[in-house]
Amino acid sequence: MSLYCAENLSVSINGTQLVKGLSFSIDPGACLALVGESGSGKSLTCLAPFGLSGPQASGSVRFDGTEICGLDERDLRSIRAQRAGFVFQQPLSALTPHLKIGAQLTEAFCQAGAAKPDRRVLKEQLARVGLADGDAILDQYPHRLSGGQRQRVMISAAIAHRPKLLVADEPTTALDASLRRGILDLLDALRREEGLAVLLVSHDLASVRDHADHVVVMRDGEAVEQGAVQTLLQAPRAAYTRELIAASLTLDTPRPALATPGAPLLVAEQIKVSFPRPGWTRGRIKAVDGVDLIIHEGESVALVGESGSGKSTLGRAIARLGPCDAGRVVSAGAELPPTAAMKSAQRRTIQPVFQDPQASLDPLWRVRDSIAEPLKYLSPELDAEPLVRAALAAVDLPESFLDRLPRSLSGGQAQRVAIARALVSEPKMLLLDEATSALDALVASQVLGLLQKLQRERKLAMLVITHDLALARQLCHRIVVLEQGRVVEHGVSDAVITAPAHPVTQRLVEASR
Amino acid sequence: MTPLRILIFIVASALLLPFVLPWPYDMIDWDHVRSPPFTGDHWFGTDSVGRDLFARTMAGTRVTLAVAVAAALVALVIGTAWGAIAGWVGGKTDEVMMRIVDALYALPFMFVVILLMVVFGRSILLVFLGIGAVEWLTMARVVRGQVLQLRNRPFVLAAQAAGAPPTAILRRHILPNVAGVALAYLMLTVPQVVMVESFLSFLGLGVQEPLTSLGILVKEGADDMDMAPLALLLPGGVLVTALVCMTLTGEKLRDRYLA
Repeated sequence: MSLYCAENLSVSINGTQLVKGLSFSIDPGACLALVGESGSGKSLTCLAPFGLSGPQASGSVRFDGTEICGLDERDLRSIRAQRAGFVFQQPLSALTPHLKIGAQLTEAFCQAGAAKPDRRVLKEQLARVGLADGDAILDQYPHRLSGGQRQRVMISAAIAHRPKLLVADEPTTALDASLRRGILDLLDALRREEGLAVLLVSHDLASVRDHADHVVVMRDGEAVEQGAVQTLLQAPRAAYTRELIAASLTLDTPRPALATPGAPLLVAEQIKVSFPRPGWTRGRIKAVDGVDLIIHEGESVALVGESGSGKSTLGRAIARLGPCDAGRVVSAGAELPPTAAMKSAQRRTIQPVFQDPQASLDPLWRVRDSIAEPLKYLSPELDAEPLVRAALAAVDLPESFLDRLPRSLSGGQAQRVAIARALVSEPKMLLLDEATSALDALVASQVLGLLQKLQRERKLAMLVITHDLALARQLCHRIVVLEQGRVVEHGVSDAVITAPAHPVTQRLVEASR
Repeated sequence: MTPLRILIFIVASALLLPFVLPWPYDMIDWDHVRSPPFTGDHWFGTDSVGRDLFARTMAGTRVTLAVAVAAALVALVIGTAWGAIAGWVGGKTDEVMMRIVDALYALPFMFVVILLMVVFGRSILLVFLGIGAVEWLTMARVVRGQVLQLRNRPFVLAAQAAGAPPTAILRRHILPNVAGVALAYLMLTVPQVVMVESFLSFLGLGVQEPLTSLGILVKEGADDMDMAPLALLLPGGVLVTALVCMTLTGEKLRDRYLA
C-alpha cells in the first residue's frame, strides 16, 4: 500500500500544460526523486497537489488515504500542517529573519495543533537533525547560522509534527558540496529510523544516486523515464537520461589532455584583503591573508574551498576587480597598480566570467554591444564587427544571436555570450568565478566542454574558482585549496585528489565521490 | 489601462479645447454672471465675475499640470544626479550626501516653500523651483538604492574589466537601468506636486489672476459654496480624477520596474 500515489497528474496555467500526465507512487519510508533541468516542471509536480503553487493540479493524487487533488484550501491546509512537511531551496529566505530559531520551531509545533513544546522537546527536535548544540542554536537568529545549519533547522521544523511525507524541493542546491552530502544522509537516516517518506526534487542525477529508491526523469513536463535508481542509472533507455548521466561529473570521469604550460604569466605575492566588520563592531575581517600564486601561460589553476574561504575575493583582487590591501601582482611582466588606478590597457591580460549568467549581461544591451564592450576600451583601433562575430562563433552560437537581448537567452546561452565577451579582446587569461555552478548539469557540462576546447586551442591560462573538485580536475593542471583566506594545500590536480592531506580537502574530495 | 486613458483624455482636453471653446478663460460675459451650468454656451456656468467656468477649469488644469511636470522634472534631475553620485561613489561621500537629504527631510517643507514665496514674491518660476527643490529628496533615495544594487551586479564588474572608465559605466550601464524606476517615481511625484501647487494657490500664494489653476478654482468655488456648489465640485472633480489616475498609473509603473 503506497503512501502517496499520483495518477495522470497534470498542472496547467492559462491553458498551457506545464506538467503532463505524470503517474508515480511512494511507499512509506521510500524516497522518490524527480530529476530534470530547470523549467521541466519538477517543483510544480510536487507542490501543486498540496496547493502550494499558483496553478491548480488536475488528475488524481491519493495521499495517506485521502484524495487531495481538488480539495479546497481549508482541508489542504490541515493536511499540510499535520501529514506533510516541506523544505525549500533557500534556507535563509525560508526562515523568518527576525524570529529566533526557538520561536520558529515552536511555531512549527503549534501549527500542527500540538501543545506548546518546552525547551527540552525543542532540543530533542534539533538533535533529530544532527544539531547537537541545541541550547545555543535555539537562541540564535537565522542569519547567525551557516547554510547547512539553516537547512537542518528547516528540516527539523518540517518534521516537527511527525509527518508521513517530506517534500524536499532542491534542498541542497544552494549548499556547498561538502554540506550537500550531510543533508542527504540526514534524510536517509530519517527514512530509516522514522519511516518518513521523501519526495525529493533535484536537477542532478548523480547526487540522488545513493539516496533515492526511485527516480522520475522529467523534461518539458513529461516523464522521460522512470524506475528504480540502480536499473535506471545502469541501463538508461531514454537518450535524455543517458545525456544527463554523462553530464554529471565524478572524480573518475576521464579527462581530455590539457595544454602544456609555458613561461610564468601572472605572479601574485602576499595578497591580503580585509573588510570592515559589519555593524557597529570595530576591526576588520581578514578575507585573504597572504596568498602567493603563480600562473603560467596556458595553465589552469583551480582555487577551491568552502563558501566564505575567500576564493572569490582573492580572484578579484588578482584581476584588480576588487579591493586589495597589500601584496603585488605582476602580470605579463609589468606590476599592476591598485584597482582604482588601473589603466584600460593594463586590463588586456585578464578577463572575467561570473557565476550568474543573466546578471553578467546588462539587461538593456544587445548581445552584439555586450560582446563589443571590451574592444571599445581595450582595442579601440580595431574594427569590432568581424571580431564580435568571430567571438560568437568561438562559443558555438549562431549569428542570429547578435541582436538578442539577455532576457531572451537561456542560462547556458547567456553564459556563452559572457564567455564570448571575455574572449573578444584576446586576453591571455580567464578568471572563471564559479562559471558553471549556476547552470543545469547538462548545460554546465556543455560549457565545460567549451572551456576545455578554448584552453586547448588558444592556450588560454585560467584561474578557476569553484567548490567542485570534479570540475577542477576536468579543467585544471593544479589545485590550490583555500581555508579562511590561507592556502592550506596545493599541488597537481590528480595528486591532491588521490591523496588529500588537509581535512578541508579531504571533506571536499569525500563530498565529490 | 483605464487610468492612463482618462489621464490622456484630461490632458488632451486641457491642451486642445481652448482653441475651439467660444469663451476664453479671461473674458467676462456681462449677460451671465454666476450662472448655473448649461446656460447659453457656458457648459459649467460662469463664476462670480461672469467668466466661463469650463474654460477656466481647462486653463487651470493646464497651469497645474505644467507646474507639476516642470517641478517633477526638476526633482528628477536633481534627485537622480544626487542619488546616483552618492550610490556610485559610496563610502564617506555617500554618508554625507544622504545625511544632507535626511536633514532636508526633517524641514517642514511646506513652510519653506511658503517662506520662499513670501520673501521672493509670487512667480510661477519660483513655484516650479521651490516645489521641485523639495520633491527631489525621495527621488534621490530611490535612485541611490537602485544604484547600490546595480553597482554590485557582475555586468558592472565585467564593464570594469573591459576597461570602461567609471563615468562611462555610470552613463552607459547604471543610469539607463535606473531610468525605468526613476520614471515610475516621476509619475508618482507629479500628483504630489499637483497637491502642493493647489494648496499654495488655495492659500493665495500660487499663480496670479487672471491666470488660474485648479487650486485657485477650488478656493473660489469654496468661497461661493453655498450659492453655487458646482463651482467647487467641477474643478474639484477634475483635480481629484487627475490625481487618482496619475497615482494609479505611477503605481502600476513602479510595480513593473521594482518587481
